[in-house]
Amino acid sequence: MSISAPRYGAAPVAKTGRIHRALTIAHREFNRRSGVGTVAVVTLTYLAITLVLTINTSFASLTGTVTLATFETPYSSPAWPFLMLIVATSVGAGGLAEDVGNRSITLYLSRPIRLIDYLAAKSAATGTWLVIAAVGPGLAGLAVVLVLGWAPSSLVLTGAGAFVATGLLACIFFTGLALALSSLTTRALYAGVAIFGVVLSLEIGAPLVSGITGNTSVAYASPINDLLSVAQSAFGISGPYATDPATSAVVLALSGVFFAVFAGWRMSRVEVVGE
Amino acid sequence: MTGIVDADSVTKRYGEVLGLNGFSATFPPGITGLVGPNGAGKSTLFRLLAGQLRCDAGTLTLLGFPAWGQGEFRRRVGYCPEHASLFDWMTGADFVTTLLRVDGFPRAEAQERALRAIETVGLTEARDRRLKAYSKGMRQRIKLAQCIAHDPQLILLDEPLNGVDPVGRAHLSALLRQLSATGHHLIVSSHVLYEVERLTDQIVMIAHGQAIAQGDLHRIRDLIDSRPHMVDLETPDPRGVAKLLGAWDHVVSIEFTGPGKLRVLTRSPEAFYAALPALVVTEKLDVRSVHSADDNLDAVFRYLAGGGR
Repeated sequence: MSISAPRYGAAPVAKTGRIHRALTIAHREFNRRSGVGTVAVVTLTYLAITLVLTINTSFASLTGTVTLATFETPYSSPAWPFLMLIVATSVGAGGLAEDVGNRSITLYLSRPIRLIDYLAAKSAATGTWLVIAAVGPGLAGLAVVLVLGWAPSSLVLTGAGAFVATGLLACIFFTGLALALSSLTTRALYAGVAIFGVVLSLEIGAPLVSGITGNTSVAYASPINDLLSVAQSAFGISGPYATDPATSAVVLALSGVFFAVFAGWRMSRVEVVGE
Repeated sequence: MTGIVDADSVTKRYGEVLGLNGFSATFPPGITGLVGPNGAGKSTLFRLLAGQLRCDAGTLTLLGFPAWGQGEFRRRVGYCPEHASLFDWMTGADFVTTLLRVDGFPRAEAQERALRAIETVGLTEARDRRLKAYSKGMRQRIKLAQCIAHDPQLILLDEPLNGVDPVGRAHLSALLRQLSATGHHLIVSSHVLYEVERLTDQIVMIAHGQAIAQGDLHRIRDLIDSRPHMVDLETPDPRGVAKLLGAWDHVVSIEFTGPGKLRVLTRSPEAFYAALPALVVTEKLDVRSVHSADDNLDAVFRYLAGGGR
């Protein structure tokens, strides 16, 4: 067999940059997760938080006692982190697991895109949904309060800052957790069960171990406790939680980053084997 | 080595199972068929070339670059995987456009290229339909569209004709020949030697993870022609199709293997595959799928793998 040496031309130059290419994946992933279930949970979150916030503020405005703490009411209940948990499971569990499980990841990764860009795109899609669910309802409620003149604009602005800070923290933690657990399996269902299992077992186990051992630092292992502690502090309330809000915030942020790095490490070792 | 793809003692293990076992071959410019029975290691080699698997030993390069990784050289490679998993929530046009944008094309150019590629594979009418509603043959076509839309130098096609109806096979085969004629290099895998024969004379035969023969197809085909070849067909009218096929000289026997299923034994698979599309069109037959039952190919591969080494 005679072989003639091929002539290779220079690689064609990409007309768009890495960020643009990653955003394409993020955009498609965001749309992919906009199913009925996700939209229903997010809508429920908006209705619940906005209603509680506006009703609570309307009563406070009647007695002239509107403070920053007035806005915190919807975030004082474990229902809020629990809703974030549902959203994270709904939009994040399948993010990596489905692509690896059905091997459609090969369609992306046989293209000139780096694994880190692919992961960043997946994180951005999950994170955007979580920001919408975690920050949006608080801001929507405050907008109503502002329009109806129930609180001074400076107070509303401070409240908005508190919602953004707390919501972003929740977003970082849950996005990292969802990605990490999604990278460990090829089935979204397993990843979803794992997300719930990890958060709920920490929620139950951490206070229990903390109580038995008398070691209060174990309580930081409960992400829901940490989120509520941070939320109360952000709204100027000294809550019933044993944990220091600043430390809780650092624990949540570092956990989210650690989980994301873990997902990257895990995916760099994944080979798409097939059946 | 000077090939488009060079493999030197490539080994890939899945736990204790060997996917490739010291595979060495050089794929020259033009169309090269990678032929082997199911489980021979074809898809493993393609996944290595696509950068989804990493070699355990040996070296594998495509276009002069190491196969593992997602470098910018991938813009010059088109990959059509064997699996049917696509982004089912997208329309056909969205699917191709999205992957072109991941390739680095701006939106307008990506859309234009996508429409052109979809037209090339004959899916224009279905371009706005969601992929989950596509038939197996349509999925093969849209996979081919995403593979060629960015005009790559090297096109990797893993069983591209699998599950496509006879008329579609003829169309796609003509398209692949046209791509080669316009300067693209193609590596096409198939477990049906006669499909590859219609595309190229250059083949690499693989069995048990090793390259067992490489070069001119005709010498290898002669081995197979001496044995009857089994072909499975699916059609809602098996009796009508059997009646027509039974009239062909080279058809040895026809067996009804299940509801809507036929197994045809032919002495001349080349003539069978050449004549079937015309028969389907002229007699307006509804033949849903054609598969090589492959037993005889296996026998030949076993012969080559065992006696030839």
